Amino acid sequence: MKLSFQEVKDIMVLSPKGKIMGGPDATQMHDQLHEFISQGKKKVVIDLSKVDWMNSTGLGILISGLTTMRNSGGELKLANVTEKIQSLLTITKLITVFECHDSLEEAVESFK
Amino acid sequence: MTEILKTENQISIPSSLNYLKDVDDFVEKKLKKCGLSESDLADVAISVTEAVTNAVIHGNKCDLQKRVTITLKIKESDITIWVKDQGNGFDPDSVPSPVENENVLKKVGRGIFILKSLMDEVDFAYEPHEGTVVKFVKHCLPSKKC
Repeated sequence: MKLSFQEVKDIMVLSPKGKIMGGPDATQMHDQLHEFISQGKKKVVIDLSKVDWMNSTGLGILISGLTTMRNSGGELKLANVTEKIQSLLTITKLITVFECHDSLEEAVESFK
Repeated sequence: MTEILKTENQISIPSSLNYLKDVDDFVEKKLKKCGLSESDLADVAISVTEAVTNAVIHGNKCDLQKRVTITLKIKESDITIWVKDQGNGFDPDSVPSPVENENVLKKVGRGIFILKSLMDEVDFAYEPHEGTVVKFVKHCLPSKKC
């Protein structure tokens, strides 16, 4: 997984790319979110458009991110959830936990 | 200890998740040659990472002296994969359901559930002093002869 980020209207947009399967992936996302929190940036969107697939470790990383942001008074939302990831979120019932948006713009606007 | 061992349809790694990408690269290369659909390929690849993660963490307890071996058999109508560890076994039925309300927000515990959801057949076999073998099958139609 490669991870990049950008700031859009005070919202931090994290863009993982590739496959999220564990190993070093977990610490990378965790460290980046804590960096945002330390800068007082607590509104985060994860743009999943460039993620090929993720496994249960990837889902754990998303849950950990959501919990981290909410515990610091912030929020984490998902954008551009691909069909494969949507299917995993559905069978694991995590679709009920995450706020998902069809586009990055919609996810950013939803914070207003 | 020799790190990664490969034959035509088998890869063996030490018990570390740092080798997960090597396993995925090996499996993807094999499956892509068969012209598998993107969706089926992803299902198999995800399942392999789930089984290998379990073998490394719960089977071999991350003991680098123990190995995890992944074997593929690709036929015209299905793909069969065996993931073998050298651990003391674990009871897959003892894992609580991750979709029960109290477990939905847990960070771990979904691997076997996802494996069973994506594959058509999943079987766990434990032999004392041998370890656990997870065998799983995906029925699909590779478009090319492998």
